[in-house]
Amino acid sequence: MLIPKKRLSKFAGYAMALAVTWSCAPQRPYRAPIPRSSAPAPSTRVAPPPAPPVEAVRKPLPQESKIREQDIRIAPAPKLTPAPASKDAKEPTKQASISEPRGSSEAAPAPSAPPLADDSSLLAKITPGVSPQRAASLRLTEEGRKLLDAGDPAKAITRLERTIVIDSTNGYGYFYLAKAQHRMGHYQQSLNLLEVAQSRLAGEPFWMSELYALRGENYRALGQAQKAETSYHQSLRINSGNQTASDALARMSGESPAAAK
Amino acid sequence: MKKFQLRIFSISLIVLLVITTTGLVAGAWFLKDWEDKVTKKFEGRKWDFASKIYSDSYHLYVGANLRLDDLTEKLRRLGYYETSAPPKSQGAYQINAAAGSVDIFLHDFDFPTEKVKGYPVRIRLLGNSVSGIENLSENTEKFDLELEPEVVTGLYQRIWQERRVVKLAEVPPLLIKSILAVEDERFFSHLGVDPIGIMRAMLVNLRHLSLQQGGSTLTQQLMKNFLLSDERTLSRKFPEAVMALIAERKYSKEVILENYLNEIYLGQRGSQGISGVWEAAQFYFSKPLSELTVGQTALLAGLIRAPNRLSPYRNAEAAIKRRNVVLAKLRDDKIITQKQYDAALKEQLPQRALVKVTNEAPFYVDYLRRELDQNYPKDVLEKDGLRIFTGLDLRLQKIAEKALTEGLAKLEASHPALKKKNAEEGLEGAIVVVRPQTGEIKAMVGGRNYQKSQFNRVFQAKRQAGSVFKPFVYLAAFLHGGQSGTQYFPDTVVNDSQFTWNYDHGQSWQPNNYNNDYYGAVTVSRALESSLNSATARVAQDVGIRRVREIARRLGIESSLPAVPSLSLGSAEVTPLEVAVAFSTLANGGVRARSVAVKHVMDQNTKVLEKRDVRLEQVINPSLAYTMNQLLKGVMDRGTGAAARRWGFTRPAAGKTGTTNDYKDAWFVGYTPELLAVVWVGYDGPAKIGLSGSEAALPIWTEFMKAATANMPVTDFVSPSVPGSETSEDAPAEKCGSATREGEPPGAPCPPAPAKPAEPV
Repeated sequence: MLIPKKRLSKFAGYAMALAVTWSCAPQRPYRAPIPRSSAPAPSTRVAPPPAPPVEAVRKPLPQESKIREQDIRIAPAPKLTPAPASKDAKEPTKQASISEPRGSSEAAPAPSAPPLADDSSLLAKITPGVSPQRAASLRLTEEGRKLLDAGDPAKAITRLERTIVIDSTNGYGYFYLAKAQHRMGHYQQSLNLLEVAQSRLAGEPFWMSELYALRGENYRALGQAQKAETSYHQSLRINSGNQTASDALARMSGESPAAAK
Repeated sequence: MKKFQLRIFSISLIVLLVITTTGLVAGAWFLKDWEDKVTKKFEGRKWDFASKIYSDSYHLYVGANLRLDDLTEKLRRLGYYETSAPPKSQGAYQINAAAGSVDIFLHDFDFPTEKVKGYPVRIRLLGNSVSGIENLSENTEKFDLELEPEVVTGLYQRIWQERRVVKLAEVPPLLIKSILAVEDERFFSHLGVDPIGIMRAMLVNLRHLSLQQGGSTLTQQLMKNFLLSDERTLSRKFPEAVMALIAERKYSKEVILENYLNEIYLGQRGSQGISGVWEAAQFYFSKPLSELTVGQTALLAGLIRAPNRLSPYRNAEAAIKRRNVVLAKLRDDKIITQKQYDAALKEQLPQRALVKVTNEAPFYVDYLRRELDQNYPKDVLEKDGLRIFTGLDLRLQKIAEKALTEGLAKLEASHPALKKKNAEEGLEGAIVVVRPQTGEIKAMVGGRNYQKSQFNRVFQAKRQAGSVFKPFVYLAAFLHGGQSGTQYFPDTVVNDSQFTWNYDHGQSWQPNNYNNDYYGAVTVSRALESSLNSATARVAQDVGIRRVREIARRLGIESSLPAVPSLSLGSAEVTPLEVAVAFSTLANGGVRARSVAVKHVMDQNTKVLEKRDVRLEQVINPSLAYTMNQLLKGVMDRGTGAAARRWGFTRPAAGKTGTTNDYKDAWFVGYTPELLAVVWVGYDGPAKIGLSGSEAALPIWTEFMKAATANMPVTDFVSPSVPGSETSEDAPAEKCGSATREGEPPGAPCPPAPAKPAEPV
């Protein structure tokens, strides 16, 4: 054995992380890995770690593999009036039992997941094991959310920016920052923040559904109806009870029947 | 004869007439000119308001690490003063050591997003962290608290006069009466000039045979301050008196008095002059005018005669003596009662140290001034009293400055050849500190001595990046793979041997290793840890230099990057700030944050003119960033940055040394998940320093990071597959296996790393 076992396991870790790079990268056009047998590398690759399946690194949601940017670059978007900023973003939807939304059932290409339990309470996530930084960050996020509810996105942004300073792994902070930027009419910035939030909320279906719904709202506001529709569908695939997504799809189908197809 | 006399008489008469006419015309012209000046001043812009630059505010929260010493130092710098009793007024605080708490009566402060009225608050400490925050006025628990930012400096022309203009009705009558009693008793009866006052002053001056009193009225004082120089000469007195007469003829006593109360100079805080009664009440007592006591009112009135000599900050005894004189005058004039007089005599002066406003971050201020100049005209910046809130952390700024100046001095001491005879050409350095999550520039030192050279090397000096550029090569390799079809992983074996890179139809380039030592088959991680040139260049050749350039751009390098092979070893010239942005992107899990110095700009009326939000963009995959962070941790633990461990910096960190192949530039960029610093060392001219990044820049970086991260929780880079924060109480588990100098092979002696972190956790 040329390389000690300990080193091998570390390299395997790197490889796993890199495998995620290749397999999950949502934005950049990665070069597809060439099968090892057909790769005439100039240097001998010692102890090639097999690229593990994505599931080994993190558990993606069933629909998550379809969120790549290239997947939603589809046909030209039908003309849509951008949604007004004040009406765009809704709070994490309460899990009221909803009737099959008009349009969403028609448009959804894949079967929807059942409604998920409401996981929107951030204070409930402050459990005894949570670090002080995390707890403070979550409380600040909650304050930012309230400021958003009260219609003060500018002040909310100042509070929410503190959340990521205290704990940069707090995906909810990024999510609500995205929401505040959406309310301010900064849709592209909101999309950027959602992309950051996505990597931090990957294991939380309820929040991923919210994230896709807000992404849809941003695309819709930018006049990119096709991308918006895809995002709404992704949201509903994870959580069929997402009111924002279902309402938006219903509205879109009402505005433009083509959008729902 | 008679005819001749008549002629002389006629000529004399004519001359007299001419002189008289000329005098009258000149007098009229002067009068008109002075009247125009008085009118212009009264009806035009009276004062310039310097814009104020603030540091970042101080955010405390339950669970935050906080030492009592740090808190009290912060309070002192913010102008708070310690009392032995529970604080009853703004600006006071009391330490209760037995209860482990500090009670603070907060100042009023207009934050960009909200106006905060001062209130008493209790901060409870448990060990070195905040265990509770209580609003004492409401008896409610809070989870966080924001202390106001510090004033860093002002932007102004010539002199900085700090004042807030108030209406006459806002000034307490007692203060007005007190000022009139000691400065101009007959203000409401004279016409601008007080002959009785002048006579009295002349007598006093004659008695002392020197200029003791001026006998000027308030109106004359106002005219002098508004329109004339400060010199005490008789030639200045005449226009002063005439202008006072003009002002009194044109404007009411109330208008003149209001202007006087806002104009009057009342003290000095470093480079900042305190003008007007409102500002003085804040400066000396942290109070609004309406809350001044009789004793404080008398003290302010007494200060007018000699604000600095009688300042309670400088000479409490003289201040009290003068205050008592004023109080006696007020009692004698029946302005206050005997009872008020007796009570006021017993008033204690608050014991507080003067915190001068001296620009402690001149390079930072220059940088943000350039940012501001793009949106605000010079006159607006220097006259309109904007309030500019920044990301500057004055604590980090001081640490950075100390680390750089002391580090460079140590280098010169240990390498005497570095010391140039000509101080102008001396060894220079720069350090910039960034918070990766938000892109806020927390500190910036653009050179060794601002007084000698204002050239800001953080963003004005473009220098070859050297090996600092290598991570971009490997990122491109991981991301795109090689043109040969090779996929690159940290353990991929690459060839570290001499080769020639032929490019562009006939051109060739041959990279060389440090000391011309080559190590054959090495892994990517080892090539990066040991900063092997040849191996890196081979990878760059396989990946393609355009892809390397593309990833550097994506991360935040904005300078020109020629697509030539030597780019892979950092032949391009970049600024330390660009390097900071690019590596911040890695520290932040592939999310690039726009660098920010100015966060908010408010006008005088607290309207927010501009807010620069945190702008983020995920530019590389989090997993890719994580992988690179792990590799660069290897640089710190085993590679060219390992000496930092030996010098006591043991918390998880990633970093990269940089040395240009001509030894002109030495770099080190290193970061924890929360803080990144870039250090550059070199000469401004073409001279070589002859030292590597690990020899010249790393010691400075280490000293900075040790002090900057002390008392911060130890955190590690979180794998993108593991959501949630991981806080570790221990230093990195990996031990140094084979520390290397830049370009040195694996196997060099390993510096002994301490078993436990040196920093307090």
